[in-house]
Amino acid sequence: MALRSQLLKGVLDACVMAVVEEQPVYGYELSQKLQAIGLPDISDGTIYPVLLRLQKNGFIRSEMRPSASGPNRKYYFLTDSGKTELEQIASEWLQIAKPVSQLLKRGVEDEKNNGTN
Amino acid sequence: MRKTTELIKENNHKRDYLNAENEKVYEELLLYIRTDLRVDEHAAEELLMDLLDHLVEAQENGKDAADLFGDSPKAYADELIENLPSQKRRNIYWLAVSGMAGLVGWFAITYGIINAVFPLFTAWDSDVAVGSILMILLAASLIGLIGTKIFFKIIRSSVFKPKDQQWKVYVKGGLFGTAGFVIILGIAFLFDGIGPVIHVAWWAVILIGIVLLAISKGVGWLSN
Repeated sequence: MALRSQLLKGVLDACVMAVVEEQPVYGYELSQKLQAIGLPDISDGTIYPVLLRLQKNGFIRSEMRPSASGPNRKYYFLTDSGKTELEQIASEWLQIAKPVSQLLKRGVEDEKNNGTN
Repeated sequence: MRKTTELIKENNHKRDYLNAENEKVYEELLLYIRTDLRVDEHAAEELLMDLLDHLVEAQENGKDAADLFGDSPKAYADELIENLPSQKRRNIYWLAVSGMAGLVGWFAITYGIINAVFPLFTAWDSDVAVGSILMILLAASLIGLIGTKIFFKIIRSSVFKPKDQQWKVYVKGGLFGTAGFVIILGIAFLFDGIGPVIHVAWWAVILIGIVLLAISKGVGWLSN
């Protein structure tokens, strides 16, 4: 369980940094974007512990700016060390993503076949 | 950067936009985070403002507090607290100094007023024993510090609980408050007349009190 949540944490950190790199966003926007990408189990609040952790590590920083809808919002930006971190996580992820998902998919399909037979 | 006091003011104002149910959950979360003395106050207020902005916008789009904070707001709040930067030790000391100066300041002003008013109606001995007064101040400061901690703990244990259990909090708070008061009275009684006895004019006592309050405010402002 601990490993599972640890894994999720790392993946989520990377996803948040990737969205922020594309374009500076504020909290609400960020959660909407993550949900729009298709990450289903991300509840709105999930991002705030992540944002705090990333700020603490210096990977993102924030700045007050007027938002599209009017009022000032806290926008998050990726820092230089955040960029390096994201690149590293991304390359590690890409190395394992394909083989791991193929392997796990095979597992799921075997399960299915066993079930129908 | 927005100041902590400005954030608190803005937060008070913005909470009006929440509907009753969302406001209740949000205010409990706010109380739980604000009464955690380990976290950096400014970072906590910035986070609370972000969450409030988010909740207001979510509410406009037909979502509620459960969508934002999950099924267990307490577990969520603990996760937030874990990731917030911790209060700098230096700030904690200054805060304690400020609190103590404030406490003694109010004590002096009250005592000064009593010394000014009581002699008008009754025989009143306004001489003070230096040793006794120091003992009382020390006890009041200690009880003030420990009392604040206990008080916050009681509040924290009460949030995220059903309404019908909240009366226990008032009873607990009242009992601890009474106990503290009795201890101070007891010390005043037990350690009466210790050390040299001096006479200080009532207006001088009030003046000392005002200076202490100013120091308390100044130190509190510096620690921010």
